[in-house]
Amino acid sequence: MSMPSALLTQRLSKSYGEVRALRGVDLEVRGGEIVGFLGPNGAGKTTAIRCMLDLIRPSAGTVRVLGLDPQVEPVAVRSRVGYLPGELRLDDNLTAEGALRFFNRLRRGRADWAFVRRLAERLGLDLQTPIKNFSKGNKQKVGVVQALMHRPELLLLDEPTSGLDPLGQQEVLRLVAEARAGGATVFFSSHILSEIEEIAERVVIIRRGAVVEVASTAALLDRAVRRVRVRFRQPPDTLMLNGIPGVKLLSRDDRGSVLLQVTGEMDKLLKALAVYPVSDFETERPSLEEVFLAYYEGDRQEKR
Amino acid sequence: MLTIFRYALARLRGQILGWGVILFLLGLMTVARYDVLMENQEQVRQMLKGSAANFMRALGDPAKLTRPEGFLSIGFFSFLPLVLGVFAVLAGSGLLAADEENGTLDLLLAHPVSRTALFVGRVLAFAAGPVAILALSWLGFVVMMARSALAVGWAEMALPYLSLLAVLLFFGALALLLSMVLPSRRVAAMAAGMVLLVSFFLTTLARLDKDLETIARLSPLAYYQSGEAILGLNGAWFGGLLGAAGLLAALAWWRFERRDIRVVGEGAWHWRLWPRKVSP
Repeated sequence: MSMPSALLTQRLSKSYGEVRALRGVDLEVRGGEIVGFLGPNGAGKTTAIRCMLDLIRPSAGTVRVLGLDPQVEPVAVRSRVGYLPGELRLDDNLTAEGALRFFNRLRRGRADWAFVRRLAERLGLDLQTPIKNFSKGNKQKVGVVQALMHRPELLLLDEPTSGLDPLGQQEVLRLVAEARAGGATVFFSSHILSEIEEIAERVVIIRRGAVVEVASTAALLDRAVRRVRVRFRQPPDTLMLNGIPGVKLLSRDDRGSVLLQVTGEMDKLLKALAVYPVSDFETERPSLEEVFLAYYEGDRQEKR
Repeated sequence: MLTIFRYALARLRGQILGWGVILFLLGLMTVARYDVLMENQEQVRQMLKGSAANFMRALGDPAKLTRPEGFLSIGFFSFLPLVLGVFAVLAGSGLLAADEENGTLDLLLAHPVSRTALFVGRVLAFAAGPVAILALSWLGFVVMMARSALAVGWAEMALPYLSLLAVLLFFGALALLLSMVLPSRRVAAMAAGMVLLVSFFLTTLARLDKDLETIARLSPLAYYQSGEAILGLNGAWFGGLLGAAGLLAALAWWRFERRDIRVVGEGAWHWRLWPRKVSP
């Protein structure tokens, strides 16, 4: 039996006057998975997440969060969700503990305070410091703690590591992975492709308000273009190399070394090379960043 | 809702204390001034024969200056709607829009709080603010009146404050509604502030110029009783102002329930009376 959807949007659209922020977004996040939401500034990531919490109302389409309609049952949805906004703002007059206790009271005291202290300790957050004295990174840590402290079923995180130092980023990613291990579903947007690559099982890529790709992170990377350098003991037959499906010869030198571009799986190339004497074989693993940039190449060219 | 109410009230604490203590002291001073005035009635009568009477007529009936209701109107309650109206307009316009503009409303509403609960909690806190300020001011009078010639009972003394409270709630609710429909808190505060200012000058000038009386009836402050209320609260005026405040607050709630919560950097700040058609 498949896991029920933790998040489901169908033809989700949102317009601000003439600006169409979302253009029929269809996406599904199954219970218990970590899904990265990838897109450049203004692609519609924040708008989509805010529709899921009924902070803004869609112009068209449907949203279901944990099986509920956020417009009909917003309180029920929010009681089961932990949210970290992309533009986190906190009441500067409170201490970190004051702010967290206030948020906990709004959740009817559901958070275990020992857990809150543990989260703060792991993030290196001093709970007694007034928020007005915090750096952006420390404020972000307060945001992370408030999102996690009631152990929500679904985490909606908009740029969760924004403003954090590398250690803080790693700790947040560990906390997210632990939340998932505890049964939570995680949907998070990020600009930092390496962190999506590190923890997300699937990736949703959004471009100009529309989803252009939904795939497992591994499949996306597998489908990507790789560069392969092969050194043969004798100069190879270039016709043979160009004839392998998905393989393109980029360059060659007199010493028998070739640089190939491989699209998709490596299987056909490896089988073709098996009959030749190969002295060396190097492949560059593509980063998600390269995959991501490939999707936006069109945008960049249009802008030029 | 209780958490929201307490939090919102705690944020108004400084303003309540500031305004309340000032008006408490002003209440003490006003009672003392009445005693001085009563000891110098002949001089006052002479003064009223001069041009000062014309100026006083804008604030109340100078002929009643030596009577408690007249003195309280001219010496204290006539200018309070303008002074405390500034508090009401700023607090009302910022009740939700301030948090929205600084981005804290986004996170607040991501918690299990309905928009209605948030709205009601905030409005109750806002209403409690003027009640606390006016109660402190009333206390200033009550403390001094026992040893004064100002022979007004503590219950009668509360009546002008009730009239003033209705005015403050009206302007606060107006500012709140405007903050829900206008593009920013600042614009809403300015618009409500203008209504307050025009109302004040209209009702003030109407006491000097009878031709303005008809148009002054459109002003909410025309239904403010000032110190005259110690003789008896006009229930229709009081109820009318409260009803109008309730209606404005209900409209603000209706709007808040249906609108998008704006966030810093998002393109929802434009104000259009009619939404433009979206091209497919």
